Amino acid sequence: MTGKSVTRRQFLRHAGATAAMLGLSEALIPQLAGALQQLATSGKPAVIWIQGQSCTGCSVSFLNSNYPSVADLVINKLSVRYHPTLMAGTGRTAVQAIEDTVAGAGEGQPFVLVAEGPVPTAEDGHYCTFGLGDGTKTVMDKTVPNDKTYAQWLDELAPAAAAVIANGNCAAFGGIPGANAKTTGATAISEYVKKVDAKKTVINVGGCPSHPDWFVGTVMEALISLGLLPGGKGRLSLDKYGRSRTFFGQLIHENCERRPAFDAGLFLQDWNQQDPDMKLCMFKKGCKGPVTYADCCVRRWNSKVSWCVGAGAPCHGCAEPTFYQELAPLYEPLANVSLPGVSTSADIAGWVAAGATAVGIGAHYLYKQLGEKEPKESSEGGER
Amino acid sequence: MAEIISIDPLTRIEGHLRIDVEVEGGRVVDAWSSGTMFRGIEMLLQDKHPWDAQQVTERICGVCPLVHGTASSYALDDATGVKLPDNARLIRNLTLGANFIQSHVLHFYHLAALDYVDPLAVADYTGSSLPLITLRDKFRRLAAEKDPYFFLPRYESPDYIGQPGGPGDPDLACELVSHYVQALEMRKKAQEALTIFYGRMPSFVGTVPGGVTTKPTISNTTAFKARMQELQQWVNDVYWQDILTVAQVPEYQELLRAGDSGGNYLAYGAFDLDAAGKDKFFPTGLIIGGDVLNTRKPGRDEIAKQITESVQHSWYTPECEGLNPREGKTEPELGKKDAYSFLKAPRLGGRPMEVGPLARQLVMQEPGFMSLVDRLGLLTEPLEFGILPRHAARAYEAVLLAAKLPEWTDELQAGIGGDIWDPKGAEIPDESYGKGMVDGPRGALGHWIHIQGKTIGNYQCVVPTTWNASPRDKSGNRGPIESSLVGLPVPDVDNPINVARCVRSFDPCIACAVHVIHPEHNGVKEFRII
Repeated sequence: MTGKSVTRRQFLRHAGATAAMLGLSEALIPQLAGALQQLATSGKPAVIWIQGQSCTGCSVSFLNSNYPSVADLVINKLSVRYHPTLMAGTGRTAVQAIEDTVAGAGEGQPFVLVAEGPVPTAEDGHYCTFGLGDGTKTVMDKTVPNDKTYAQWLDELAPAAAAVIANGNCAAFGGIPGANAKTTGATAISEYVKKVDAKKTVINVGGCPSHPDWFVGTVMEALISLGLLPGGKGRLSLDKYGRSRTFFGQLIHENCERRPAFDAGLFLQDWNQQDPDMKLCMFKKGCKGPVTYADCCVRRWNSKVSWCVGAGAPCHGCAEPTFYQELAPLYEPLANVSLPGVSTSADIAGWVAAGATAVGIGAHYLYKQLGEKEPKESSEGGER
Repeated sequence: MAEIISIDPLTRIEGHLRIDVEVEGGRVVDAWSSGTMFRGIEMLLQDKHPWDAQQVTERICGVCPLVHGTASSYALDDATGVKLPDNARLIRNLTLGANFIQSHVLHFYHLAALDYVDPLAVADYTGSSLPLITLRDKFRRLAAEKDPYFFLPRYESPDYIGQPGGPGDPDLACELVSHYVQALEMRKKAQEALTIFYGRMPSFVGTVPGGVTTKPTISNTTAFKARMQELQQWVNDVYWQDILTVAQVPEYQELLRAGDSGGNYLAYGAFDLDAAGKDKFFPTGLIIGGDVLNTRKPGRDEIAKQITESVQHSWYTPECEGLNPREGKTEPELGKKDAYSFLKAPRLGGRPMEVGPLARQLVMQEPGFMSLVDRLGLLTEPLEFGILPRHAARAYEAVLLAAKLPEWTDELQAGIGGDIWDPKGAEIPDESYGKGMVDGPRGALGHWIHIQGKTIGNYQCVVPTTWNASPRDKSGNRGPIESSLVGLPVPDVDNPINVARCVRSFDPCIACAVHVIHPEHNGVKEFRII
């Protein structure tokens, strides 16, 4: 963004005008006016959260955060300058908050950019726009300001940001919109930012949606590593997909509460036949737990009430960079799985080749296929 | 002298919405509503396994995944010829109902309330309630820390509750802001309740073609009911009371009628009370030309046949014009002359229709709601229902559902041990059609599937916000939001707060509204209507 000092002056004028319009009580005028005349000096890290080809699901998931709560984060911990779904400002006043924050960054008050949703690059970026751009266009004989593309926003904001956090599977890896990239050019944030500012740190948070703990935890880790919160500047450890190692290191299958059923060869086939004593394994219903790295099974969702497998449904692998396109069909058993110490495929050859190391899925699932007759009355494997 | 105001981003809604209004003499004389984001969800469903539809379409929107997943399941049930077990019917009702409450609470407090309340007034709280004093001190600290962002800058207006010279006082503002904070917990609890059956939110997993995945038990039904009872008390004592408070603020009396969308209302209905889905708690029906005392009750099949979508002013090729959704086409054409939105313009028999809580409540005509609108003086000619009645209808639905859900939970408890799934849902026919039409929090939602060769040949959705936020159609009729804006008072063009209030009263969801309908290649002309 250009003209930082000018923007700052503009900001001061704006702040004075706002305070006057507010008609604040006498006691408060000095405080709030002061607040507006000096860009936030609270020391709370500033956050700009923008949305591209998103569904707002990761924002809604963020609202489910518990410890810390959203109210605590927004009022006490962070200075959220822009969030399109929650902020008070609209139109020019919303955009003003971004401009102020960028101006502040030019004066040594850094901000973190959160991006939800990938960036469409086809048609000059016009598959996603917000805010008003330069110049005008004519619609039905009326001259109105141009749209401003999400890509243009990233061009401006990414270089100014202390770090960029791609929140959720589609911002991080393309996700669902990425499956239609041939039309819109949906591009993962890290890939796009690389072209804008090659050295910029982009941190990915997987999940469709991201778990509030994954997102808030990653933000906190990022802020600490940037020195914006106390606790050990510089220590940010990301995996090969650019994610925090804290949340995406464990295989669902290895930690699943239904692993005993898998080991016993008890697979759910008919939802009416659930056994309360031994929760049946979802592998035959297409569970992607054997190829999905995330801590859902121990962290659980929505205040730990449940998680996907807990509801008698398969894991769909939504935290994986390959979701959705490469994990479909979601309800068909995985055909070929290769894991350290575990290998399987849907046919005998795969099992034989795997030999003695074929434990886990290979051993148990194929054992059922080869050695046991399928029970006729769908009594869930029959072994007890 | 007319002046055009372009508002973008229109925040505190879902997604990317731009509103342009032409203002003359302090009132809106014309309006344009533009959805500005496109993904093409249905395109990527083509050739996929039909069961994937529910998982993919619920990701159309993170605010309304529940109703998309539910509509998709109904469409697949229909296509596979499922007889839905009673327990599955009840669990789908309970989860949908819990999400209605979640969505309505979120909408009023977190999306709309900052248009009416001055949160900064909290710092001036004078009362002696300890929780409110704590809140006051937090806001004073925000000021002391010189960080009022999130609340400022904003559109300024002389009629925010609690600000000096405005309606109410700081103590009322403080109470409302404390309810905003409580509402964060309450909406979270409503989502927790439905995840008891559905695993997680957003992006839940608990419904599949043929039924649901979690059996009712004493434990899970009790846990659900306990949360509902807590929610019921809060909805009655807080949400509903706050709506009554806001609706009676003298400064807002004009907003009772201002924002009327033109008098056409459509509801598909929701919450099946019998296995066939004939009898519904929220009934199917429509109102034409403001004739609210003469609700029409066509069947949903008949309604479905009358839907066409215009793309005259949408960024799609002219070949997509005027088709029924089941034969719909969508080929993007950016830069098309006089087009200004990614939304199409669905019309019923050529008419724009408002959908959502107000439409449902006017169709339902439940005595409690009708006596409220009567009390507010709205049952006198001309019959107009504007910004505040939409909020009132939403809150009233939350009251109705909060009372109903514990009853349905008891019914479910009585069915413990019964089936939850019809295995027929897993038998994918070579070729079949299905439709799922159901009202979600934002209004009438339809999903249509055409299965070909055991995979998805065509999948399409016609979504509530597409009805409400649609651009003009080929005949030049404005969409309901556009119509509702015309005539609205805008005393200060730099702070068009009433425009934002009006648009938000529809609870728009743009991610839902923009969708692609895959061109039908195989000459399918007729959907089997069951």
